[in-house]
Amino acid sequence: MSATEQILQNAQNLLQPFAQSFNSPEPNRLDVFLRRENLLPAIKALIEARWGYLSTITGIDRPAATVEAGQTPVEGEIEVLYSFCSGAAVVSLRVRVPYSDAVLPSICPLIPSATLGERELMEMFGVRAEGTPDTSRLILADSWPEGVYPLRKSFVPPARVSGAAEGG
Amino acid sequence: MTFEPQGENRFIVPIGPQHPALKEPGHFEFVVDGEIVTGASVRLGYVHRGIEKGAEDRTWTQNLYLMERICGICSHIHATAFVQGVEKLAGVEAPPRARAIREIFAELERIHSHMLWLGVAAHEGGFDALFMYSWRDREVVMDMLEMLSGNRVHYSANLIGGVKYDIPLEMMDKIREGLNYLEERLLHYLDVVNNDETFIGRTRGIGTMTREQAQLLGAVGPTARASNFAYDVRVDAPYAAYAEFPVEMVVAKEGDLHARFVVRILETMESIRVLRRIFDNMPESELVTRVPRRIPAGETISRVEAPRGELFYFIASNGGEKPERVKVRTPSLCNWGTVITLAVGHKLADMPMILAGIDPCFSCNDRLVMVKRNRQDPQVWTWADLRNYGIEYYR
Repeated sequence: MSATEQILQNAQNLLQPFAQSFNSPEPNRLDVFLRRENLLPAIKALIEARWGYLSTITGIDRPAATVEAGQTPVEGEIEVLYSFCSGAAVVSLRVRVPYSDAVLPSICPLIPSATLGERELMEMFGVRAEGTPDTSRLILADSWPEGVYPLRKSFVPPARVSGAAEGG
Repeated sequence: MTFEPQGENRFIVPIGPQHPALKEPGHFEFVVDGEIVTGASVRLGYVHRGIEKGAEDRTWTQNLYLMERICGICSHIHATAFVQGVEKLAGVEAPPRARAIREIFAELERIHSHMLWLGVAAHEGGFDALFMYSWRDREVVMDMLEMLSGNRVHYSANLIGGVKYDIPLEMMDKIREGLNYLEERLLHYLDVVNNDETFIGRTRGIGTMTREQAQLLGAVGPTARASNFAYDVRVDAPYAAYAEFPVEMVVAKEGDLHARFVVRILETMESIRVLRRIFDNMPESELVTRVPRRIPAGETISRVEAPRGELFYFIASNGGEKPERVKVRTPSLCNWGTVITLAVGHKLADMPMILAGIDPCFSCNDRLVMVKRNRQDPQVWTWADLRNYGIEYYR
C-alpha cells in the first residue's frame, strides 16, 4: 500500500460513521457522500485526527433534468464539495442541498478561515452557510441584485441573451 | 458592506479599495483600540471578472487562453494546472521534454514573482533602495522569458497535450549566464535581510504565525512554509517533470515576517539550482501528444505549486466541447484568512508589511470589472497614508 493509499484509508476509517457512500474517482482521491447533518461531525473527525487541511469549497449546480410526460418533476440541487488535502491525497466531502432549502451549517466554528469560501458559496450559488460570522458581499458588486446567483446554470449573462435574440 | 462601529470605544480605519502603493484594489477595515489592531476584515471583488462562469461557455482550447489571463504574474502556472487537469480527464500525458519545459517556465516564473515580491515588500517597509535593486535584477529573468517566448508576461507555453515551443541549447546557455548573475545578487539580498539592523527591526517577531495556526487557517506556499508547515505540491504530489527534477522544500521555524523573506529568497535560489539540473539533463522527445477535441465526461482535481502556494483547480467535463464547471482556488485567497487573524494584537503601523508579507494577488482571487464610486470620506485612508504612517511610526 502506497503512502497516499494509506492516508486515504485513514480518512475512510475516520469518516465511516458519517458517510452515505464512498467513491474513488482517481487513485489519489476519495469522494465521501454525506447528508448535511453529518457535515460538521465529519469535518470535526478530520480535524481532531489532524488529517490534512481544507483546501477549498466548491459549488456545482445540478439543475433538474427535463421532465418527460408522466414523470414527477425533480427539484434542482446544489452540490457542495469540501476538499481536504494531505500530501497528494484529496478527500472531498460532498453534500447536496435542494434549491428550496439551500442551507448548510457554517463550518467556521471548526475552521475560521472557511468564511471566505462560505461567502463565495452564498453569493455565487445562493447556498446559505448558517452561522457564518460575516455575510456581507465578498466578491460581487454592491449593486448586484439580490437573489441572482451567477454560477447557477439558469443564470445567463446578458450578452448571451442578446446574441440569442439575433439568432446567434 | 457595513461601516457601523460595533462598540462604543472602537475606531475603524477603512483603507482602500484604491491605494496607489499596493498595485491592485482591495478594501480592508481595521478596528483599532489606540494603536493596537483588535479586529480586521477584507472586501475583495473589485477586479472580479466572472472567469469561472465564462469558462462554461468556451471550448477547452479557448479556456486555456482564458485561464492564462487569470493572473499576470503567474500566468504559466494557471495554464499548467488547467492543461494537466484536462490531460488527466482525456487520459493522455504530455511528452517528457514538454513536461521539462513546463517546469523550466514554472521556475523562471517563480524567480520573477519572488523578486517582484521582495521589491514590493521592501517598499511597503520604506526600504526603497532594496525595492529598486531587486526590480532592476528582476529584469534579467524578464528578458529570459521574453527571449524564450517573445513575451514578458503571457509566455503562453502550454498546449493541451504539451507545449508550443522548444528551448534550443543556445538559449539555455544564455539563461545560465543570467542565473549566475541572479544567484550572486540573491546572496547579497539574503545578507541584507539577515544582517541589516533596521530591516530586522521591522520584520523579526512581526506577524508571527505558529505551525498550528498555519494549518488551521489554511495558509499555503511560502507563507505556510515560513511557519514550519512543510508542504509543497511540487514535492508532495509531483507534476510536470518534478519527479525527474525534484526541488528541495525550503522551510523556516520562526513563522514571522523575517522568515517569510528568508524562505522566499532561498526558494528562488533553489529554483536556480533545479533549472541548471534540467538544462544538464534535458530529455529528448516530441513536444505535443494528440488530444481529442471532446474531453470524456468526468471530474478531476489538479493541484500545482504557484509562486504564492497551492493552486487548486476542480474541472468537470460532461463529455462535450466545453467544461461543465471549472473552479479555481488561488493561493492568495487562503492566505487572506491568515492576515485577518494575525492582524489582531499588532500595531497599525505593522499592517502594510504584514499584508505585503503574504504576497497578496488580487486578480487571482477576484476575477468582474467594477468601478467603485468615489468616496469623499475623510476617515478613509489610502494605502499610501497607511504606509507613510508605518514608516513615520518607526522613524
